[in-house]
Amino acid sequence: MEFSSTVSLTQWIEIYSKDLFSWALYKVSDRELAADLVQDTFLAAAEKLEGYKGDSSPKTWLFSILNHKIIDIYRKKVNQTVSLEDQNFSGYFDADGNWLKDKRPSAWHEDEGQLLDNNDFQEVFDRCLEALPEKWNICVKLKYLSEKNGDEICQELDIAPTNFWQIVHRAKLQLRDCIEKNWFQK
Amino acid sequence: MKKLMNILFLSCLKASALIEKKLHVRLTFQERLQLKMHKMMCEACTRYEQQSILLENGLASQHKRIHDLGDLDQLKAIIAKKLGEQSTK
Repeated sequence: MEFSSTVSLTQWIEIYSKDLFSWALYKVSDRELAADLVQDTFLAAAEKLEGYKGDSSPKTWLFSILNHKIIDIYRKKVNQTVSLEDQNFSGYFDADGNWLKDKRPSAWHEDEGQLLDNNDFQEVFDRCLEALPEKWNICVKLKYLSEKNGDEICQELDIAPTNFWQIVHRAKLQLRDCIEKNWFQK
Repeated sequence: MKKLMNILFLSCLKASALIEKKLHVRLTFQERLQLKMHKMMCEACTRYEQQSILLENGLASQHKRIHDLGDLDQLKAIIAKKLGEQSTK
């Protein structure tokens, strides 16, 4: 069968872009990055098209390309080095491991359900999350983005679990402190 | 005796690390015991655990907040154009 690759790819852009973009956005939470991923998926598809035998549906094939690209993004972010040390907890605890006075969690007198639905709180939450170094940001979000548990995340991204817990711990301390200072103490 | 004290009494740094770990994987029996003992005596870490769970729920709900897909025609056009450039290379 004579099969014009450019024509089919152009059709696939029309048919599958929306599903691919929606999935990518769900997985990376960033519009620009999601758009780039969809674009890269089609460019990679164009290169690999000769190898595509139609064993799987075009949609499945395109999604498998996209998913590889998403994992690459996670891996890249997780492996970034952060100028602040991941294992430096001295901003939160003294040498004996006791909470420093101004970092010690104070009581949050608010109902959780209402809090998470409050737009103003969401805004503070998002800002504090964005303020984390990119590597920490992705580590705390990975559980939700990848819908995998800690051990699976470490395996897939090839990072040592102790290292991963340490980053999550460090990131959560900072996130908690930022929210306390910008919401509960205002 | 000192060894026993070290096993039974965690610092807040270690207790909060276990609290985070617990949100991702199941702790060992010893870790669960250590954390329980620590929280019985430490109000700050008890709060930390509640707040950390709240933050996890916040992360989950942030992730679910609906993303507006917006107009995809522009994206489609860009991709089609790039593909054209690539195939003529």
